[in-house]
Amino acid sequence: MTQIETDTLHDNAKQDSAYSKNLNYWVGDADIAALRRASQDGALLRLDGVDHTARPTWKLRETVEFYRDILGLPLVHTISARGWGQEGHPDFLHFFFDAGKGATIAFFYYIGTDRPERYTPEDSWFYNSNHTAWSVPTADELNRWKATLEARGLNVSPYIRHEILESIYFTDPNGYPLEITLRLRDVEVVDARDAELTLEAAMQLEDELREAGTRLKDIDTVWRRKGKLVEDLIRRT
Amino acid sequence: MVVLYVLDVPEFRPIVETVEAGQTCVITRSPEGYYRIESPTEIILNRRQMKMKPAVWYGLFTGGMNGEIAEFNRDEVRVVGTNKPL
Repeated sequence: MTQIETDTLHDNAKQDSAYSKNLNYWVGDADIAALRRASQDGALLRLDGVDHTARPTWKLRETVEFYRDILGLPLVHTISARGWGQEGHPDFLHFFFDAGKGATIAFFYYIGTDRPERYTPEDSWFYNSNHTAWSVPTADELNRWKATLEARGLNVSPYIRHEILESIYFTDPNGYPLEITLRLRDVEVVDARDAELTLEAAMQLEDELREAGTRLKDIDTVWRRKGKLVEDLIRRT
Repeated sequence: MVVLYVLDVPEFRPIVETVEAGQTCVITRSPEGYYRIESPTEIILNRRQMKMKPAVWYGLFTGGMNGEIAEFNRDEVRVVGTNKPL
């Protein structure tokens, strides 16, 4: 078994990073406008798919049995550790189920801890928006997932078609939503330009309305601004 | 006047096909991939007629519009002219 050598990455890394100095590297309060744009340094960064998703669990057995024994996804790796070395970090198990193409679905089980109130799952739009959609390659395979899981006793949503995706949904024992999806077509240049225009319309309006002391309240307003942007685009050519 | 802008992709093409078949609108297609559908009065669309699934239906005007949605329910939408700013 070969392993990729990364010692030189560590040796050559900038060692005064926020992480190594235990600084706050959470960007929630960062001034995004002050950060350098990708277009300014010419370095093209691209990702190559999912390695893993990770979420906390306070239900060890149920989670293992659900993913390994009910869904039947192979358990492929488990890390067990006395924290990460930081003060007060609980001992933990970090385990990974195979999700295809090298990706895994991972969990942290923090030993001896209770789930904080704010992590209680909710049946709400906001809560459920935080999910991962796992792909299947064909309509037959999507159908097989739905039929098989239902036969195993799970409640699975009806098929939901969202423009370029056909999806089904269910939740795991933690209350985390899972989406299984089939990509219906490739996205093309027109999709990307359209995506830019939709968000440009919304961002323009947010800026203008905030300046005027109010806020964006509906999508119809975005659709009208988008109409203007598309009309301008058409007129230019 | 009411204008709809419809991106030329499979999921929204039923809008264009339905309007072509039944309403007096002027339809043009731009090289950028947008259909421009203009009606002097109003545009009415029916979800079942277009065989459109709900999650796509509720994003029907994502291509843009110049008009105001007078009615929008599970199966029918009516867009009329407006003086609201674009």
